[in-house]
Amino acid sequence: MRKAMVLFVGLLASTAFASGASTGEKEDVAGYILHHVADASEYELESPFSAEHKAIHLPQMAIPFKAGACEPAHVAEDGHKVFPPLSAGCLDISITKHTVMMWLAALLLIGSLLAFSNRDKSKMVPRGVGANMFEMLILFVRDELAIKNIGKEEGPRYVPYLLTAFFFILFMNLLGLVPWMATATGNLAITAGLAICTFVVTQAAGIRAAGVGGYLAHLTGGVHWALWPIMVPVEILGLFTKPFALTVRLFANMLAGHIVIFFLLGLIFILENLAVAAVSVPFALGIYMLELFVAFVQAYVFTMLSALFIGMSVAMGHHHHDEHAEGGAGHDGHGKAHPVGS
Amino acid sequence: MDKEPRDEEDGLSPMARQMRAAQPYVSAVWKLVGGAVFGVVGGYFLDAWLGTSPWFMLGLSLAGISVGFYGFLREMARLGKKR
Repeated sequence: MRKAMVLFVGLLASTAFASGASTGEKEDVAGYILHHVADASEYELESPFSAEHKAIHLPQMAIPFKAGACEPAHVAEDGHKVFPPLSAGCLDISITKHTVMMWLAALLLIGSLLAFSNRDKSKMVPRGVGANMFEMLILFVRDELAIKNIGKEEGPRYVPYLLTAFFFILFMNLLGLVPWMATATGNLAITAGLAICTFVVTQAAGIRAAGVGGYLAHLTGGVHWALWPIMVPVEILGLFTKPFALTVRLFANMLAGHIVIFFLLGLIFILENLAVAAVSVPFALGIYMLELFVAFVQAYVFTMLSALFIGMSVAMGHHHHDEHAEGGAGHDGHGKAHPVGS
Repeated sequence: MDKEPRDEEDGLSPMARQMRAAQPYVSAVWKLVGGAVFGVVGGYFLDAWLGTSPWFMLGLSLAGISVGFYGFLREMARLGKKR
C-alpha cells in the first residue's frame, strides 16, 4: 500500500514537472504552479514519459448583449480566443477545465449514489463497503450537522441541500487529488456559486420562519423610516458577509494545499539538485495525505457553516415572529415592537 | 402559529447555541461598522461619479456613522432590557 502511494505521488510529481524537466530549461516555477492551479480553456494531458505537450481544447462560447460585442479581442495561434470583458457587453461562458471537473464530480456522485443506494425497501440494512460508507456520511450530515445546528424540528427539512453540498464539494476536492485532474473548489467562481446556493437557502429559511413582511421588516433594522435609506443598504450588505466568508474560506483552503505540494516538488527544480527530491517528495507525500484529510474537512466545514447560518436565520425568523405575536404588532410595525430608544 | 411553546434549542450543539446567543450582538455591531463603511465608501463613489469631492463623502460618512451609532445603541438598549 505504502509503495503504491509513493508511486502515485511520484507519478504526480513527474507528471506535473515532466515538460520542464525534459526541456532542460530553467523553469519559472511560480508561474508554472499558478498556471497549473488556475482555470484554463484547455485540458492538459502531460505524460511523465514524454516531453510532448498534449492539450484538449475545450469549446469556447460567449453571449453578446449587443451586436458584435463578442468579437474576439485576440485569437492565439492554437485557436484560443480572448473575449472582451463583461463591461464591454460580452458574457464569456466558455467551458473550462474546472467546469469539466465540476461536471465529472457531479456524474461520479450520481453514479456512485445510484450504485450504492438501496432501493429495495424490504432490505433496510445496507450491505457492502460503499453503501455502509455512504450511510455513515449521510447519517453524520443529518444527525451531527443538520439537527445539531438547525434543530430537531427544522433540521430534517434542510438535510437534502446539506447532503448535496457536502458530497458535491467532497467529490470535487477528492478529484483534485487525482493525477491529470484539477481542483474545481480551488476556483473562486465555483466556491462563490456554492456560497450563493447557501445564501439563497438561508434567506428562504428566514423568510419561511418570519414571513415576507417580517423578513423585510428585519432589513429596516428597526429604526424610523426616515433612516431607512442608510439602514436598509447596511442591513443588505450585512447579509452578504456570511456567504463571502464561505466563498473565500473554501477557495483559499483548497488552493493553498495544492500550491504547497507543487512548491515542495518545485524545490527540486529551483535548487537544480536531484538529491533534494529525497526530502521534498516525502514531504509532498505528507502534504498529499493531509490534503486527503482536508478534502473531507473542508466539505464538512462548508456544510457545518451552511447549517449554522440556516439555523441562525430560522431562529431569528421565529424570534421575530414571536416578538410580534407577543407585542400584538404586525410585521409592518418593526419599530413598534422594540420601543426602546425611540 | 404554534400551539405549544417550541424548544428551538433542543438537540443543538454548544457552538450553535453560542452562535445563536451572539447573533443579536453581532448584528448590532454590524450596524455600527456597516453604517460607517457604507457612508464612507458610498460617499467616495458618489463623489467620483458626480465630481463633487469631498462633499458626498463627508456628508454620507457623518450620516452613516450617526445612523450606525443610533441603530447600535437602540439594539443594545433593547437587548439589555430583554436580559
